[in-house]
Amino acid sequence: MNKISLKFSIMMTTVALAAILAGVWLAASDRENDSRARLLPDRVMTLFPVPKPLTAFALTDHQNRVFDLSRLKDKWSFLFFGFTHCPDICPTTLAILARARDNIAKSVVGAEDVQFVFISVDPNRDTAGKLRQYVDYFDTTFLGVTGNDVQIGNLARQLGAAYQVAFAPGMENYPVYHSTAVFLVDPRARYHAMFTPPLDAETISRRFKVLRQIEGAKPT
Amino acid sequence: MRWRNPVFAALMLALTLIAAASEEAGVSVRNAWVRESPPGVAMMAGYMALQNNTSRSQVIVAAHSSDFETVMIHRTIVKNGMAGMEHAPQIELAPNASLIFAPGGYHLMLMNPKRTLRAGNSVVINLEFRGGPVLPVAFEVRK
Repeated sequence: MNKISLKFSIMMTTVALAAILAGVWLAASDRENDSRARLLPDRVMTLFPVPKPLTAFALTDHQNRVFDLSRLKDKWSFLFFGFTHCPDICPTTLAILARARDNIAKSVVGAEDVQFVFISVDPNRDTAGKLRQYVDYFDTTFLGVTGNDVQIGNLARQLGAAYQVAFAPGMENYPVYHSTAVFLVDPRARYHAMFTPPLDAETISRRFKVLRQIEGAKPT
Repeated sequence: MRWRNPVFAALMLALTLIAAASEEAGVSVRNAWVRESPPGVAMMAGYMALQNNTSRSQVIVAAHSSDFETVMIHRTIVKNGMAGMEHAPQIELAPNASLIFAPGGYHLMLMNPKRTLRAGNSVVINLEFRGGPVLPVAFEVRK
């Protein structure tokens, strides 16, 4: 090895070492800065400064069990409003959420404390049986939930989820409009964050894992 | 040998013919796929990337397939915080431009499939252009 290339190697080694040290320092300061600021700014997830406690509501799940406020306690819940006759947005979003759940399940903490709830705004066509078949297809842990218009509206309003069913008697394929966001409710049944499209599984799972870690570390 | 399998040979021939036809129409299609539907759902969506290789605009006026009762060009639009679907009676491809049909945007709405379509299956959808040309496109069913 000649002198110049030796000098160059030493220089490169020094640069590499400096980069590693900088990385270690950054990681350490990131751990110290154990705040929600780590999750901001973000175009995918909107995190509310003060999570909003949800109030009583009553829906029915795909096994005909009551799905009310108590079902949102002690678990993180991802909620999505849609309908099964929806060919584009709903299957796309549910496939993304299924992948996000897989990612979360692979982490050390797992997905035991997480549930995914598909809320149909089209109870006229989406019976419990239909919903069970539908959500099972994406992930056998997913829940399908619905109710009458007043019951759905009660939860939707609390989350700011808009929907409209242009139902007309005798019409087979009536249009249904619904919000495209995924709502995150924390284990104290508080509306905690919202994910807005374009959604992707990796971003959702990564952001969620950080959020759960931060919230889990907080004294309750 | 693979070529001795008549089904495979026929499939290859069909795909070659489809590729040839697409060149003739001056529009090429890539990444054409249909999302597999959950059980009990008779609505599917087809996606693709269209490229107009000509210096004239090309207008798709209809789409049909022997495997679906109805095929329509739809676009998912978001209005007042809600997503809905809008029927696009026709769709124009500008000269030498591309147009993507993708989740959350333009898609072929495929209603009432006449056979069960599972991931890995292939389904042909014909795109009808203004002036008469019909472009058959092979869509792959994906999960």
